Amino acid sequence: MLVIGESINASNQSVAEAIANRDREFLEGLARDQAAAGADFIDVNVGARRGSRDDGAATIEWLVEVVQVATDKPLAIDSDDPAIIEAALRNYRGERLIINSVTAEPARLASIGALAAERQAWLVALAMGDKEIPDSVEQRLAACELIMAHLIRVGMGAEQVFFDPLVLPIAVDSSQGLVTLKTIEQIKLRYPAARTVMGLSNISYGLPDRKLVNRAFLLMAAYAGLDAAILDPLDAKAMSLVKVADMLTGKDPFCKGYIRAYRSGTIVD
Amino acid sequence: MAEDIIKLIKENVVLGRVNRDDEGIDEGMLGQPGVSELTEKALALGVSPVDIINNGLTAGMEIVGQKFEAKEYFIPDMLASAEAVGVAMEILNPHLAKSGIKDKGKIVVATVKGDIHDIGKNIVSILLRGAGYMVTDIGNNVDPQAIVDAVRDEKPQFLGLSALLTSTMVHMADTMQALRENGLRDKVKVIIGGAPVSEEFAKSIGADGYGADGFQAVRIVESLASAEDK
Repeated sequence: MLVIGESINASNQSVAEAIANRDREFLEGLARDQAAAGADFIDVNVGARRGSRDDGAATIEWLVEVVQVATDKPLAIDSDDPAIIEAALRNYRGERLIINSVTAEPARLASIGALAAERQAWLVALAMGDKEIPDSVEQRLAACELIMAHLIRVGMGAEQVFFDPLVLPIAVDSSQGLVTLKTIEQIKLRYPAARTVMGLSNISYGLPDRKLVNRAFLLMAAYAGLDAAILDPLDAKAMSLVKVADMLTGKDPFCKGYIRAYRSGTIVD
Repeated sequence: MAEDIIKLIKENVVLGRVNRDDEGIDEGMLGQPGVSELTEKALALGVSPVDIINNGLTAGMEIVGQKFEAKEYFIPDMLASAEAVGVAMEILNPHLAKSGIKDKGKIVVATVKGDIHDIGKNIVSILLRGAGYMVTDIGNNVDPQAIVDAVRDEKPQFLGLSALLTSTMVHMADTMQALRENGLRDKVKVIIGGAPVSEEFAKSIGADGYGADGFQAVRIVESLASAEDK
């Protein structure tokens, strides 16, 4: 399972401040720590700075530069704004690249889809249109169908597409855990070459012991067919379970990855 | 007798028990009457609907709010209690209409443009309804103009705006501006909420209040309402 490190996200107050203050050291540290903890990709999200709206492009250009100084890991550019994504790519030196994300909303699907096709990026596609997150599996799959048809038409391969089945808090609607898991299953059945990705933390919103809930959901999602997770790589228990999940779902021949991680002391019970 | 049944209603709101089939937060309650049966029974005994609301439902939700703030209760607990209150209000509404009692006021709520996160807004709506307000939810990703139209048409006393993203909270400022341009700013009290929003931000865009969570939102609305009455 691919791990996309989630920490450099402006919706986190301390990160937003570091970005606003152009605090290189803090942000390089976040990038370096996540890489060292085993992240395969580093997500970068600048949000929009409080009270201003047009410096997002300059900000992400700077942030991409900062993160690349700290690590060689490829980046996941986390924005739904084509202008910000383009700005992020201006000085991007990496080979692999994730663009995170599009929905079935036609205008952005067209512009960001074109960008992803041109850069041969992997593209995260949320299983939704431009309205609220659909609460049924069928509606989410309908959005996936629109997205896949468009991306194939503009020359992308199914293997470049990472569908996000979407996760709603279980605290608010008890049926939502299964909706997400079944959506993953169905996506894998319909588009065997496509991959799946999701952020874990939303499932546990409003509950105590959130990390426990996130980790359990990670394992269930791995069985349903999850290929990538957006999580905090510094959560050693979650990272250990990523190894366990790969092993238990037949992705780790002779359990070598698990045993190697155990020997290096990174497995935490 | 009336006092006993109101006390039971209050306790069952705290336990989040809609009816007798509801096991509630504590076990061992199955089969005992829940909020809906107790409300029916109270009406049959001649207890006034206002008494049921103030000393049963609202008093119960106040305890739920305290437990939530003390982190003893979690969101599902709160939603269960709010649902019990909602069911009781449905039973009571025809009686309230008959006795000519006014509701406490009207609130339009929306998640602002570009933002499709509606969970926070929905929780606030549930709690406001539980507190006796008429809530009109105009959805998420709502354009400033559509919010202006709703304020003009519905004539609410309050407008609640929600945003979860740093990239969409700016549309709260746009919405405030649109209200001003349409001469509606002084017709409605605006409260805002959502993860990236703060008291400071509320002040900076000229909103009337900020609620960090659902219960605070209710409290702000209550305090603005009583300030208005004076």
